[in-house]
Amino acid sequence: MNNKITASDVCFYYGNNQAIKNINLAVEKNSVLALIGPSGCGKSTFLRCINRMNDIIPGTKITGEIKIDDESIYGQNFDVTNLRRRVGMVFQKSNPFPQSIFDNIAYGLKINGIKDKYEIERIVEHSLKSTALWDEVKDRLNKSAMGLSGGQQQRLCIARTIAVQPDVILMDEPASALDPISTQKIEELIQTLKENFTIMIVTHNMQQAARVSDYTAFFYMGELIEVNKTEIIFTKPDKEMTENYITGKFG
Amino acid sequence: MQTHLELELEQIKIKIFEMADLSIEAIIDSIESLKNADITLANKVIEKDKLIDKLELDIDDECIKFLVTRQPAASDLRFVLAMLKINTDLERIGDLSTNIAKETIKIDGGALLKPLIDIPRMGEISVSMIKQSFDAITEKDVEKAKDVIKMDNELDELNLQIYRELFTYMGESTRHVSQCLSLILVAKALERIGDHIKNIAERSVYYIEGEDIRHKAVNKNMS
Repeated sequence: MNNKITASDVCFYYGNNQAIKNINLAVEKNSVLALIGPSGCGKSTFLRCINRMNDIIPGTKITGEIKIDDESIYGQNFDVTNLRRRVGMVFQKSNPFPQSIFDNIAYGLKINGIKDKYEIERIVEHSLKSTALWDEVKDRLNKSAMGLSGGQQQRLCIARTIAVQPDVILMDEPASALDPISTQKIEELIQTLKENFTIMIVTHNMQQAARVSDYTAFFYMGELIEVNKTEIIFTKPDKEMTENYITGKFG
Repeated sequence: MQTHLELELEQIKIKIFEMADLSIEAIIDSIESLKNADITLANKVIEKDKLIDKLELDIDDECIKFLVTRQPAASDLRFVLAMLKINTDLERIGDLSTNIAKETIKIDGGALLKPLIDIPRMGEISVSMIKQSFDAITEKDVEKAKDVIKMDNELDELNLQIYRELFTYMGESTRHVSQCLSLILVAKALERIGDHIKNIAERSVYYIEGEDIRHKAVNKNMS
């Protein structure tokens, strides 16, 4: 298996409270891994470990190792800013900047040192086309992004993420606040994006996990109970606990 | 306390077991009617097949409704998929039993060439195969289901044996031809019933452990 991300014995603590316990998990390149499990099981915490978002929370500690492309991201002298360019993130609530649609995408490019106006225009267009947003916004690129619908805002955030050419995209319940049509568009997008990116998605929607992911990992109380091909997890999971969760018997 | 989801699954299970009971009754009665030249009983088998047909439609409806509204996974999904297919097999068993009953009506009280031994034996094997398949489902016992699959061989052999025997009878006198053909059709119907029960057992294995054991030879050759 051609692994993009490898987590070995990862433990994470909020103060004295251990939120993640000895996670060993590998994510195949250009695949979608869904993280499922009841609230508070540690799936979002684990997701945030991948781009070191947890670093900014005081009193937290991580042990173990996470590698992206065989490079330990918690190693000494590791460039965290560069990591966050390589590992983009999309959140439950869309969070466009209070700027124009164009500037939302151009911002990341500018801070990454791209100055050529035409190059920026090209990437903005490409990113918006990749997220199937171009036709909807091409005539109002200079209007505020805050005027877009929730689904459009979320796709804009994805466009903003992919504009800086990351390797990995982390999604934390990206469609949970959207209507079915917008959700479908995001799901379609995930399927397309995996051709170029490796995607990890946290979702509470079991059918969404089944639809969009290649692999599914089930977390419970900070532990990784089971990870396997999505088809197997949803038809014949190995562990009884997984079975009980996905059939709605607890959680 | 059972959840609504569990109650819905229970409803499907109750109906499929009711259908299995009716199928068993249909096999027993159709063979009894043949043995005793009981045309009234034969007509009853044909009439009661309508109940099996109705159950088939009901179970299909409930399974589809469950799939749409519950979007089940894992063992719940496997259960519903297995029941949808078992439903079709049971309905076919009902039809084949009416075929046997129709042969009774065709023979129309005529004296049998010889006392029936192997045909009732086939009926008994079929009935115990159905019972064991449904025990396997209830007890989630894969071995029991797999034993049912082996039992089908006995039916195949008996069918062949009956065919050979009746073929000899037909050679002896043309007067025997009509009844022999009827009895060959009856044995064939029972052999087909065995095939359907084998399907039921295979689908039970799928429900219990998620393994698809159908067409093993094909799977092996293609992979």
